[in-house]
Amino acid sequence: MSIQNLTTFDPFADANKGADEGVQDGFVHIRIQQRNGRKTLTTVQGLSAEYDLKKIVRACKKEFACNGTVIEHPEYGEVLQLQGDQRENICQWLTRCGLAKSDQLKVHGF
Amino acid sequence: MSEEDPILSELASKKKKKKKKIPFELDSLETGAAEGSAPAEAPSDTPVKADKENKEPADDETLDLELAGKKKRKKKFLDMAKLDAALPEVDPSNQGTNEGSALTEDAPPEDDLLDFNLTHTKKKKKKKKDIDEELEGGKMDKSEDADNELTNKSTWFGDDRDYTYDELLKRVFNIMHEKNPDMALGKKQKFVMRPPHVVRIGTKKTSFANFTEVCKILHRQPKHLLDFLLAELGTSGSVDGNSQLIIKGRFQQKQIEIVLRRYIKEYVTCHTCRSPNTILQKDTRIFFLQCEDCGSRCSVASIKSGFQVRSFNSCGRTFSYLNISYRPSQENELQSERKQRESVFMVEGLAGVQRVTQDLIYSISIISQKLKGKFSFSLDLIKDK
Repeated sequence: MSIQNLTTFDPFADANKGADEGVQDGFVHIRIQQRNGRKTLTTVQGLSAEYDLKKIVRACKKEFACNGTVIEHPEYGEVLQLQGDQRENICQWLTRCGLAKSDQLKVHGF
Repeated sequence: MSEEDPILSELASKKKKKKKKIPFELDSLETGAAEGSAPAEAPSDTPVKADKENKEPADDETLDLELAGKKKRKKKFLDMAKLDAALPEVDPSNQGTNEGSALTEDAPPEDDLLDFNLTHTKKKKKKKKDIDEELEGGKMDKSEDADNELTNKSTWFGDDRDYTYDELLKRVFNIMHEKNPDMALGKKQKFVMRPPHVVRIGTKKTSFANFTEVCKILHRQPKHLLDFLLAELGTSGSVDGNSQLIIKGRFQQKQIEIVLRRYIKEYVTCHTCRSPNTILQKDTRIFFLQCEDCGSRCSVASIKSGFQVRSFNSCGRTFSYLNISYRPSQENELQSERKQRESVFMVEGLAGVQRVTQDLIYSISIISQKLKGKFSFSLDLIKDK
């Protein structure tokens, strides 16, 4: 039986983990942008870098029947970009797949 | 009456507690009540009560007094009919217990007594207050209340029994209602917002006409709200000369309203007490929301526009472009570089020209503020690009 008090504890473990995970404050930001006419773009920013975004975008494209890409951004990391207003879809899909919890999602836009 | 009231209430409270202690046994209840009330009650007799006494067949002095005390309380807090109905029932039961007979009559009066006790404990404070208010003016009333409080407190102090949860809860609520009568009914003043007035300008832009008015209602800097709106909507825009906000893109009133609601939730209402009476302060790059009502202070999220896709600037239709360019007055060689970088206004048709002039003046003023008069401006109208 090990004594819990004597085991070493790394106080920076969480901090290091936090830096890796996501871009900022662990939120997944889902935004919408208007294009010309009725067209819109949906961007998903802040997904954990552990996941392969290319695979995610492939699955999303198939699921929502839209096009999409992964964009590398110097500040925000990899950002998922989908065509059309996919905010509802992506929220449901992310929670269903367990990629993010519903309280981590932050939907912006109107 | 007014002098007697504190004594009475004290007695009443004593009685109530004693009764609570020993709830379902009539005998012990009687004895306890008799003990508690007998010596103190003699001076607080009134003519009305005396009449009642005369009516009743009295055999035990102390018991009768006690009963009289009860009567008085009942008269005060319950209606007369009930009292009259109750008294004859109570009396025989007392006699019965004293003489050790009449077992058959025991059960129903017990119920009655219990009933009364319940009503007393529940309605005691409120009804008392009502009556007091009816009887006397404000000042007397207050002093009485204070007296009541004192007596209550003293009884609370004196007893070292275990208080029941219900009692304590009731006490807390009574105190709360006394201290702030406004929240008694749970009503809060509603925060009334004027709906945003949103008008489409042409096909590409939207005007938020009462923008500054909304800012004033919310007590927020227009710049802060502007930043939030533009970040949330993912577009660009500016405040017009006549204080309306021009946003690029098509938006309906409903959509703006949703964003505005989000802004109010995050940056206007207090996170603790939800009052809209707050101040937004900036302390070392972080915004703090200070509540004026409850005094809480908490940091709020900074506004970040996040990732934006910028690929659809020019829209390939036949527009009249108005290009505002500026050049530095001394270094002329920079002119060609800088020329295309300032904002390009798109106007549909010729009717827009007048509107442009307004926009133009405003944008020039902004630019000149930014550059602090170091540059000179040139405006040229380019058609059909």
